[in-house]
Amino acid sequence: MSMNFEPTSEAEAADIIRQAAAHAVPLAITGGGTRSGLGNSVRAERGLSTRRLSGILSYNPAEMTMSARAGTPMREIEAALAGNRQMLAFEPMDHRGVMGTSGEPTIGGVFAANVSGPRRITAGAARDHLLGIRFINGSGEAIKSGGRVMKNVTGLDLVKLLCGSHGTLGLLTEVTFKVLPLPPAAATIVAFGLDDAQAAAAMAHALAMPVEVSGAAHLTESVRYRFVGTSHPEGAATVLRLEGLPASVAVRAEKLKAAFAQVAPATVLDHEATEKLWRDIRDVKPYADGTQKPLWRVSVAPTAGHQLVAALRLQTGVDAFYDWQGGLVWLRMEADAESEMLRRFIKGIGGGHATLVRASDAVRAATPAFEPEPAPVAALSVRLKEKFDPKGIFNPGKMG
Amino acid sequence: MPETIAFLEPKPSVLARRQQIVEDLADILPPGCLISEKRGLVPFETDAFIAYRQVPLAVALPETTAQVAAVLKYCSRYGIPVVPRGAGTSLSGGAIPQSDAVVIGLSKMSRILDVDFANRTATVQAGVTNINISEAVSADGFFYAPDPSSQLACTIGGNIGMNSGGAHCLKYGVTTNNLLGVKMVLFDGTVIELGGKALDAPGYDLLGLVCGSEGQLGIVTEATVRLLAKPEGSRPVLFGFMSSEEAGSCVAEVIGSGIIPVAIEFMDKPAIGICEAFAQAGYPMDVEALLIVEVEGSEAEMEAMLASIIAIARRHGVATIRESQSAAQAALIWKGRKSAFGATGRIADYICMDGTVPLGQLSYVLKKTSEIIDSYGLRVANVFHAGDGNMHPLILYNINDPEDAARAEAAGNDILKLCVDAGGCLTGEHGVGIEKRDLMLHQFEQVDLNQQMAARAAFDPQWIMNPSKVFPLEGRPAA
Amino acid sequence: MQTNFTPEQLTDPHVAESEGILRKCVHCGFCTATCPTYVTLGNELDSPRGRIYLIKDMLENGRPADEEVVTHIDRCLSCLACMTTCPSGVNYMHLVDHARIHIEQTYKRPLKDRLVRNVLAAVLPYPGRFRLALKAARLGQPLAAAMKRVPFLKSFGIMLDLAPAGIAPASSASTPGIRPAQTEKRGRVAILTGCAQPVLKPGINEATIRLLTRLGVEVVVPQGEGCCGALVHHMGREEQALAAARRNVDVWVKAADAGGLDAIIITASGCGTTIKDYGHMLRLDPAYAEKAARVSALAKDITEYLATLDLPRQEPKAIIVAYHSACSMQHGQKITMAPKILLKNAGFTVRDPAEGHLCCGSAGTYNILQPDISATLKARKVKNIEATKADIIATGNIGCITQIATGTDMPILHTVELLDWAYGGEKPAGILPSP
Repeated sequence: MSMNFEPTSEAEAADIIRQAAAHAVPLAITGGGTRSGLGNSVRAERGLSTRRLSGILSYNPAEMTMSARAGTPMREIEAALAGNRQMLAFEPMDHRGVMGTSGEPTIGGVFAANVSGPRRITAGAARDHLLGIRFINGSGEAIKSGGRVMKNVTGLDLVKLLCGSHGTLGLLTEVTFKVLPLPPAAATIVAFGLDDAQAAAAMAHALAMPVEVSGAAHLTESVRYRFVGTSHPEGAATVLRLEGLPASVAVRAEKLKAAFAQVAPATVLDHEATEKLWRDIRDVKPYADGTQKPLWRVSVAPTAGHQLVAALRLQTGVDAFYDWQGGLVWLRMEADAESEMLRRFIKGIGGGHATLVRASDAVRAATPAFEPEPAPVAALSVRLKEKFDPKGIFNPGKMG
Repeated sequence: MPETIAFLEPKPSVLARRQQIVEDLADILPPGCLISEKRGLVPFETDAFIAYRQVPLAVALPETTAQVAAVLKYCSRYGIPVVPRGAGTSLSGGAIPQSDAVVIGLSKMSRILDVDFANRTATVQAGVTNINISEAVSADGFFYAPDPSSQLACTIGGNIGMNSGGAHCLKYGVTTNNLLGVKMVLFDGTVIELGGKALDAPGYDLLGLVCGSEGQLGIVTEATVRLLAKPEGSRPVLFGFMSSEEAGSCVAEVIGSGIIPVAIEFMDKPAIGICEAFAQAGYPMDVEALLIVEVEGSEAEMEAMLASIIAIARRHGVATIRESQSAAQAALIWKGRKSAFGATGRIADYICMDGTVPLGQLSYVLKKTSEIIDSYGLRVANVFHAGDGNMHPLILYNINDPEDAARAEAAGNDILKLCVDAGGCLTGEHGVGIEKRDLMLHQFEQVDLNQQMAARAAFDPQWIMNPSKVFPLEGRPAA
Repeated sequence: MQTNFTPEQLTDPHVAESEGILRKCVHCGFCTATCPTYVTLGNELDSPRGRIYLIKDMLENGRPADEEVVTHIDRCLSCLACMTTCPSGVNYMHLVDHARIHIEQTYKRPLKDRLVRNVLAAVLPYPGRFRLALKAARLGQPLAAAMKRVPFLKSFGIMLDLAPAGIAPASSASTPGIRPAQTEKRGRVAILTGCAQPVLKPGINEATIRLLTRLGVEVVVPQGEGCCGALVHHMGREEQALAAARRNVDVWVKAADAGGLDAIIITASGCGTTIKDYGHMLRLDPAYAEKAARVSALAKDITEYLATLDLPRQEPKAIIVAYHSACSMQHGQKITMAPKILLKNAGFTVRDPAEGHLCCGSAGTYNILQPDISATLKARKVKNIEATKADIIATGNIGCITQIATGTDMPILHTVELLDWAYGGEKPAGILPSP
């Protein structure tokens, strides 16, 4: 790429896009560039970054909403929220560790990639918190969708469609999203020594209890010491997070611990340890290893995750741990990406999908990053892309 | 007097082939699944937005996804408009047919197909009612969270069509936040599946786009939804205020303080009277405004949260606080609230608004609403989801008096514009339907709507799916 | 909802009443959810909202009934679940009554239907004829299976099937006269003997009289009363129904004037719903309006009356009762708690079957006239009842007893039979030995 466009206003961005459309110049859309490696390689001549479309536009803590320009650094958003004891409840992952990138992740990037963390199982994904957007379509028109209220079904929900579209349908310029109060208390129940299948059953049981578990992960033996120190019993660690009023958390922790006492030795982590642990899980710390080993993010039915891993282990060198009650599997392949086998096995356990998050350039070039869609759905996606980006200038190739 | 809302001109080519179409559909569908006689079609002429009516060309009541696909394939081949219908409870006219349309009703597809407690999902046919899902899993300690007031009757297919909300969405989110997957039929009969038991799906968020698309992108025939573990306990508490403003500012402060109850519902004095007459729930009758605040969790948790809420309510001059004394009373409190719209039928016809405003604007919008209503010489009852700013003024009128009806419609339009101008939107959970279609340009620019219509056209290039709804008739792309 | 009646049409009091009912409906659709036929058939035309629309259309246009309308109105069970559900207070009962009268007056049914209906109307309300018919039916029962295969004869085959194995002789409980209180007198009531019930289950009224007199209530069995008229009323045969009502009003008013009455006791909730409506049915008859209203006010279900007597709590029994609330009890008369409280106080453990709001498919003569829907509903009801794992079923309506008994081996009794036993009477026949 010869040069990055870095517009400072929506009008300027629209202008750039109109020009690009007129001359059919493909653009690589980025925010801070910390997750640019997500998806397939982009065939673009020029870069278009939102990083200078920055700044919080409005923040009303009492109404629990914030509006910001797409290029606003996450750091700035999080600082403003913390000042009012609020948070992004969907706990977006910071990809810098696993992807070996540097720079500033942006709020626009978070929504463009629909990045969600451990609290996804109760609070929802990024897309569930995005209330309104402004974006520029491939014809250079500035479009508004959604709004700034919690409930809004006025017209087609383009907000959801753009969220997770990885910059292939439009350039996000502004996002308005829901924020929530920080829980005043938090704790984590840790059960030791369960195998993957036992852990899946235990997590399903915990999520069925009226205790509002807000995070459920199983840290297999190979990764467990990267998360939980050596002062605890041996073996894999199954972790369940509780958040809320101090009285609630205390009562619920006792209930969960009692439920677990019958199957495994269990302990409770305090608020501070809880925050650290779940940040590490969110950011997939064990695989922030500075390598290019293929890293997959697999999403399946929660009770199917361990079946997939068990099947893979018989065939290939793989390391894995689980979030989302077992439904989000982080897989690090020791050698080959094994995409064909992985996707075949996923079909075999009832369906789901795998996304290649990291790999060497050679592997990425040979492996579709996203799960191929069935023909009629893929056809729909192509038609949609044409309706938003008729000249095909946004991140060509990224989503297939 | 406002102009009445127009439907698309019926296609002469379709009307002319009426008899042939009916015969062909009779071949496609099993016996007892097609209604084509005039007498039998009239009852399908409207939904719960009774101000508008159109008798359809035929009503198909398929029993399987394959039959839905066959009917759609046929209709697309001949350009016949199709209007999907669940239980016909739409308050915005989403299921009102048009005279050249085939209604596809999902009421015969009402089976629960799979309940998976370990993964906390239920897969159901589109005609299953909202409450049937919760009832089917209740004994095992689960529930399906979105709870529109019509949950007794409305179907999950309709909920997906409108992205329905409900009282308890304050904590648990609306339909789109609780929907994991669908099987649906596109305009040309193609059957696709989106999502599944995994928490997210690959590719574009088509599921997110389909949810709330008002039957314009296809017909959902099966849905996989998220189940949640029931809380240990829950308790609605009644807070009576001597003014709507006090109640409104109390809501804003509760939410602003970081407390998020499961539900905060608001009723003004007329609404309290209407609901009490039906449910005998023990609502205080001597107050101007009532909040139903529901907290849940263990006894200690509920106590702690209530204590904070009560302290805030006292600062806003609360006049009466009543906790429900039993599960039976709690059920009555909710029965009264959820029957509010229907119960209004005891005293008048109504149209129900659905604008949503930022919480800080609640008191202002309430006050302006009553000014608007007064200026038209009408009456209003307010009953709505205060915690998320989703207002439901019920404008009372006499449907047998055309002038009164026109005034009510004009007042409604003014109120919805007020909501948009206050930073909100036209509809929080009922959908645009036919009712709010012509107000869309008050909230959106034409260029915004063009993009939405372009997305719509990616699914239905022929514009046969529920075509009179959502988008103003002017400014549509040439067919 | 919007209506379009001319001022002239509205001079007809029936039309005016129906217009008032229709105006209350806001088309919210809640009624569809609890309607047994909609739940079964999934067609809005077979739901209250659909029928209301069909009726409105028919009445507004002053049109004779046609096959389409009749089909869907006939499928209505008159269970009135919709009225319990309706938040708007739509009186569907009076609307469908009006529609049925209109149908009867303007529509000529096919021969087979007319035959079946004439036979039912000529036999069921008359205990003597009914007893004879049942005896004949026993003889004919071997033919039932064959008859059910012939569409024209299907309803007759089903009638044969429903005939019970043993037909009791006429009960002494039906003999007119006064049954004095056995203990200190605390009340005086008349009892409706009824028509079909004393033939099918004479034990119900016998138990009622035993229990009441034991509790100090004098029971009058008046001379001259007969069928309450519900059966013909639901067929739209208005004159016959009103004649039955007038006859009974005369009988009870006479009894009330003679020695005072605290209540007219009814042990079949289907009849109770109709008798409580006499005041409305005869409102346009100046000679009867007032008397009929008086009778309706006196009419009480047996459990409704017993609930006023403060019966003492009994020792718990190891017997689990599934209480099936008849539609006419819960929806027609809105009596929901009294029977269950009485049973609990009498020492029984009471369980509520799931989907308690749904009809069992009996609905008077519905099981004969609409056998397929009725059988589906029966199966659904029995499944829900059996899931309670109760020892015995209790209910307050003879129609439900007959219907449910043909679908399950669980014993089924009238609530009052269990109460009579609990308060000093004989153990009812057919009850399981207590463990």
